[in-house]
Amino acid sequence: MAEIAQRLKRRWLELALVSALLLALGVLFETTGLTLGDVISKRFLGATLRLSVPIAFAALGGIFAEKSGVINIGLEGHLIIAAFASIAGVILTGSVWAGFLAGVLASTLFAVLFAVVCIEFQADQVIAGLAIWLVALGLGPFLSTVLYGSVNTPQTGSFQAIAIPGLASLPVIGALFDVTPPVYLLYVAVIGCWYVLNHTAFGRWVNASGENPQALDTAGIDVTRVRYVSVILSGVLAGIGGAGYALSIGQFTGSGETMIGGRGFIAVVAYLLGNYNPIGAFLSTTLFAGLQTLQIQLQTGVLPASLVQTVPYITVIVVLAAVGHTRTPAAAGEHYESGDE
Amino acid sequence: MTTAVQLDGITKRFPGVLANDDVDLTVEQGTVHALLGENGAGKTTLMNILYGLYEPTDGRIVVDGDERSFESPRAAIDAGIGMIHQHFMLVEPMTVAENVTLGAEPRKWGGLAVDADAAVREVAALSEQYGLDVDPTAPVETLSVGVQQRTEILKALYRGADVLILDEPTAVLTPQEVEELLSIFDHLTDQGKTIIFITHKLGEAMAAADDITVLRDGQTIGSIAADDTSREALAEMMVGREVLLEIERPPVETGSTLLTVKNVSTPSQRGVPAVSDVSFSAHAGEIFGIAGVDGNGQRELIELLTGLSTPASGSIVFDGEVITHASRRERIERGIAYVPEDRHAQGLVMPFDLVENGLLGNQRTSSFANAGRIDWAACKEHASSIIEEYDVRPPNPSASAESLSGGNQQKFIVGRELARDPTLLIATHPTRGVDIGSTEFIHEQLLALREAGVAVVLVSSKLDEVRGLSDRMAVMHDGMFVDTVDPDAVTEEELGLLMAGEHPTGGEQ
Repeated sequence: MAEIAQRLKRRWLELALVSALLLALGVLFETTGLTLGDVISKRFLGATLRLSVPIAFAALGGIFAEKSGVINIGLEGHLIIAAFASIAGVILTGSVWAGFLAGVLASTLFAVLFAVVCIEFQADQVIAGLAIWLVALGLGPFLSTVLYGSVNTPQTGSFQAIAIPGLASLPVIGALFDVTPPVYLLYVAVIGCWYVLNHTAFGRWVNASGENPQALDTAGIDVTRVRYVSVILSGVLAGIGGAGYALSIGQFTGSGETMIGGRGFIAVVAYLLGNYNPIGAFLSTTLFAGLQTLQIQLQTGVLPASLVQTVPYITVIVVLAAVGHTRTPAAAGEHYESGDE
Repeated sequence: MTTAVQLDGITKRFPGVLANDDVDLTVEQGTVHALLGENGAGKTTLMNILYGLYEPTDGRIVVDGDERSFESPRAAIDAGIGMIHQHFMLVEPMTVAENVTLGAEPRKWGGLAVDADAAVREVAALSEQYGLDVDPTAPVETLSVGVQQRTEILKALYRGADVLILDEPTAVLTPQEVEELLSIFDHLTDQGKTIIFITHKLGEAMAAADDITVLRDGQTIGSIAADDTSREALAEMMVGREVLLEIERPPVETGSTLLTVKNVSTPSQRGVPAVSDVSFSAHAGEIFGIAGVDGNGQRELIELLTGLSTPASGSIVFDGEVITHASRRERIERGIAYVPEDRHAQGLVMPFDLVENGLLGNQRTSSFANAGRIDWAACKEHASSIIEEYDVRPPNPSASAESLSGGNQQKFIVGRELARDPTLLIATHPTRGVDIGSTEFIHEQLLALREAGVAVVLVSSKLDEVRGLSDRMAVMHDGMFVDTVDPDAVTEEELGLLMAGEHPTGGEQ
């Protein structure tokens, strides 16, 4: 009985939270004169997908790292350094794709550093991850100032949207097929990551490495190697996110919390909310990215802009409180040394 | 008959410790071989050497007639040796089939994908062949400990093991599961598999094994066919002196009533009553035993007595005062000591040293803490005196609890609790997973308390123990006391019926 009562209470609480959120959104719509038609539109969907790139790629990377047992809280840092390096790469070479590779490479180097510190030297993963963020947060704007005289780089060339003939002219969802290369890459990555995690031997090992590394070790698989590959993969994926985002804008802006603006941290929430499932993480990403898009449009209304800007973050808190039953890998954050008896 | 495994003069030296000293072991193919010895006798070390986890300092390993040296478990697995550790190496959220095939997954599409259907098929076939009765699609976390253990056996078989090493396989099992495991041994040996199992339980070695090798202090004491020996002879080989297997309980004058429990009930997590309407009393100079199959409300009842939870109804009176809702701290201060059932989770803080563990529960006592400041010198002295008095080994107060063997951890807990000078001791499974030397010692301590006029409430799933020690004994089933009996008069059959919830004399309770 007590259990059922508790569950009911929980249901009510979730319901109350979600209704409060909807009500708040309703009030926002009312005061800004925004209509539902503005939200269900190609423009809105396109903007949401563009904003999804950094969050979703970082979330995919975070899934691999954390599922293997290494919590990568430094995704924000990977995004920042990839964003800066990609723009610097374009300025240096004049090629957007070369810049893209430079961004991914920079993020990957950070991931290698993070992996060595966490796996080889068994540093605390959260502290090391925060260090990665802080280093990138300082290094990006600093290099920009040294090289270009300002924390903001000059404007460069950027990725252009490629429309798939036919599909792109569909109403509303046509926006899915009129996007920049990083968004198309995202579609492939989401399905690819889901496939790797659920249907390949490597995916099993990643899972086992984060749940019970000793079981994997006694089964004859090198846990350290699985974790290295996973963490470096997280750097590659976050790098694609950071570079793809910066190159869709064509500039790195380094003032304040940089152009990344906490999206690496929202990515962590996105994959937790998606329960470590790449597809779930992508869907929750679109929720947050959609809210960010909305927030930009809402800023035109009567409410103070700084208040409206908090909407996505408040949503994060509400959603986390309402869902609240993500199952984290049992050995996440724990070091593993083979031969420990 | 052919020899499956032969170990010749195995010596293993760790820094400062000689774990194995010239050990010989010969195991015939298709037999069950028990490796018997007290905790710390070197059994597990020896098997870890055979399994490639440790390299021997000296000696020869011969498997199927070939001399081998295993640098890693992988090499041992390839030679057909599988080991099932005491702590299972399973990934809880994964299914049985996923666990069994981990690291050796059947592939399809040129290796790009795991062939999940093939894994399930292969595991189901293996399970069928050896009578293991495991559902390959069940997530491991939903399975009982017994089935998890069978999953581990499947893992070894899947990798082609012909020799299965099991480390203390029965330590975590219920009596029924032990029966099942022993019949699985028969299935396996019928099909030519060889089993080596590590144990410190005489009865099991006698019941399950064809041959028994006894280790003591890292040395082979002897090998003997199970049919040619007796419990007493084996006990003497293990301990190195004569051991009293029968508990002798001298008559003691029973004193006043110390504990009165009246009609207590408590709901369990799942809504069914865990303890329903239980009443009993315990007197000074008496051991009151509670027998029954584990999981019939013993734990919940004990939590009510120790103050870890409070009853929904009913009352508990201790020494003339109602303590139904008294806190744990208050009960400690009133002289109720507690030896918990799970020494790792409740009895000790494993990474802490013995000085700190000795302080647990005493942290507010003025002799250890002055105005909130802990007197570590006094704590150390306290730990040292427990170590000396209760023969805890190694005798080092700054050793961490986790570095001690189970028997020594338990002796330390018993020592700490008795050092409180209690008037009531609540002991749950005080000798679970403890070797026979330490078991005998703990029994002596409980009997000494009884003679000193302390009341003891003893919960144990070992029938011999609870019958031998108790003056009066209740049998618990489904949250209720089925009956309270005289342990000296009740027969084994009557007890069996009571534990199943039936009155031997009339009807179901």
